[in-house]
Amino acid sequence: MQSLRELQCAVRRSLVEHDDGAAAVHIVSSGLAPEQRLAVYRNTFDGNLANALRLSFPAVHRLVGAEFFEGAARIFAHQRPPCSAWLDEYGVEFPHFLAEFPQAASLPYLPDVARLEWAVTRALHAPDVAPLDAQRLAALDPADHERVRFIADPTISLVRAAYPADAIWRAVLAQDDAALGAIDLAMGTFTLLIERRVMGVEVTRLDERAWRFVEALVSGLPLGAALEVSPGPETASLLAEHIVAGRFVGFDLVERAYPSVALENAS
Amino acid sequence: MVGSRATASALSPGQRSSIPAAAGIGLRFQHHRVVVDTRPEVPWLEVHTENYMGGGKAVAYLDAIRRDYPLSLHGVGLSLGSAEGIDDTHLERIHVAVQRFEPGLVSEHLAWNVADGNYLADLLPLPMTEEALDLFCRNVDRTQTYLKRRILIENPSSYLQFKHSSIPEWEFLAAVSQRTGCGILCDVNNIYVSACNHGWDATAYLDALPAEAVGEIHLAGHAVRHIDGEKVLRIDDHGSRVAPAVWALYALALERFGAVPTLIEWDTDVPALDVLLDEAAQAQVQLGRVQEGEAHAIAA
Repeated sequence: MQSLRELQCAVRRSLVEHDDGAAAVHIVSSGLAPEQRLAVYRNTFDGNLANALRLSFPAVHRLVGAEFFEGAARIFAHQRPPCSAWLDEYGVEFPHFLAEFPQAASLPYLPDVARLEWAVTRALHAPDVAPLDAQRLAALDPADHERVRFIADPTISLVRAAYPADAIWRAVLAQDDAALGAIDLAMGTFTLLIERRVMGVEVTRLDERAWRFVEALVSGLPLGAALEVSPGPETASLLAEHIVAGRFVGFDLVERAYPSVALENAS
Repeated sequence: MVGSRATASALSPGQRSSIPAAAGIGLRFQHHRVVVDTRPEVPWLEVHTENYMGGGKAVAYLDAIRRDYPLSLHGVGLSLGSAEGIDDTHLERIHVAVQRFEPGLVSEHLAWNVADGNYLADLLPLPMTEEALDLFCRNVDRTQTYLKRRILIENPSSYLQFKHSSIPEWEFLAAVSQRTGCGILCDVNNIYVSACNHGWDATAYLDALPAEAVGEIHLAGHAVRHIDGEKVLRIDDHGSRVAPAVWALYALALERFGAVPTLIEWDTDVPALDVLLDEAAQAQVQLGRVQEGEAHAIAA
């Protein structure tokens, strides 16, 4: 007799890889075949994961229709089954999957909409963390400012899209066909900030320079290096705006050597 | 007011008393707002633990609801039956939820759903063997030690049995409770569904459970699926009203276990809150009869 562990791996292969053989031989077949019994669990596996993805990607669901979405979700679940029982985390790879999915190629903007929706989902479920107390920054020696490395609010994502994913997303969720029809799909660069505010998740278009600056800070570059990535007269007011808006929840000070290395690598 | 923070040692008696022996309902996202806005009369609520991890709106709603209603946390993802052991990260997420919401009851399933690190998004049956029993008890011990509290374990519904199973499910569940000190969440609908699917005697199942360990009862609707035309499989889809045969079995369960906190679950095609409250009211009628009987017995 195989061990419990071997049996569970065999059932996993049945549900995820549709390979019933190793599990079926251990299942009582009175009335129904073992494969039919395993199929009940596989249906639930497929259905629950498609449902989890639908909740995280509602605009993608509407854009492609329920039948296409469930088919794509089934293939995705087969290739990338979840690694955690917290299904709010499931789907980080779905935008990339859609980008590579030949059947979705006729909707070239779909992966961008999916990336935006993943950022929105992340914002919806990220932990609640108190914003940084600006007094702590004010207490610093100004000579240390360039060494400040902020910790971003966990609800924040920065998305760069080649299509107006934000406009498509809003129009699709509002079921506003007129707005959807009016969107110019010409390729561009759309630089978006996604975050959870008191009233809900907000998606804001930033100009390229402002986006690069906050992207540098959110990704953990110290302030001195971030200013090199995105220099400009407006950075001081941008930084103040981010702090007031509570986009940082903490900071630390990096070693002084770090910014000069970053300076050489920048530009 | 529920804000009082119990110490670890004081939790056990307080936990039980905070969930009354009355009929509550499973709270789903569709009903967050109506519960907050209208404060319906319902003695207690239960939620799926996995839906209240992280932050944001759902947990904020539950924080608010928690102030007015006793709460039970019912998990589906800890996979206590996994041979590879339980996921520490997930156990810690449950711990965080338990600390945040201070539930009166915490429960999980006699099932598994993680293998090779993949979460299989359903409650899968174990082979009923000594190996599985030892492992399951170890995982329950670990969970109760980590959470510093007793948990309840729910009997699953199942659609297959393993050839090498050697222990009846009811004996397995009773042994888990006896060895680990955990309580039992007796899902009457699941007993009915599994009994029909496998040809078990549902009444004998109830009789085999240690009455003093049963801390909660679940009731739900199930579907009858026809496979290949004539073969019938009952599926525990929580998508309809409680079936008459399950109400009858519930009466037997109450006779055997006494008045136990009872929950109406509904997860597929979730109806208006009133429908759930109506189902709970029906359970409450049965609970009331049992409580009257208990009062008479004490008086006599």
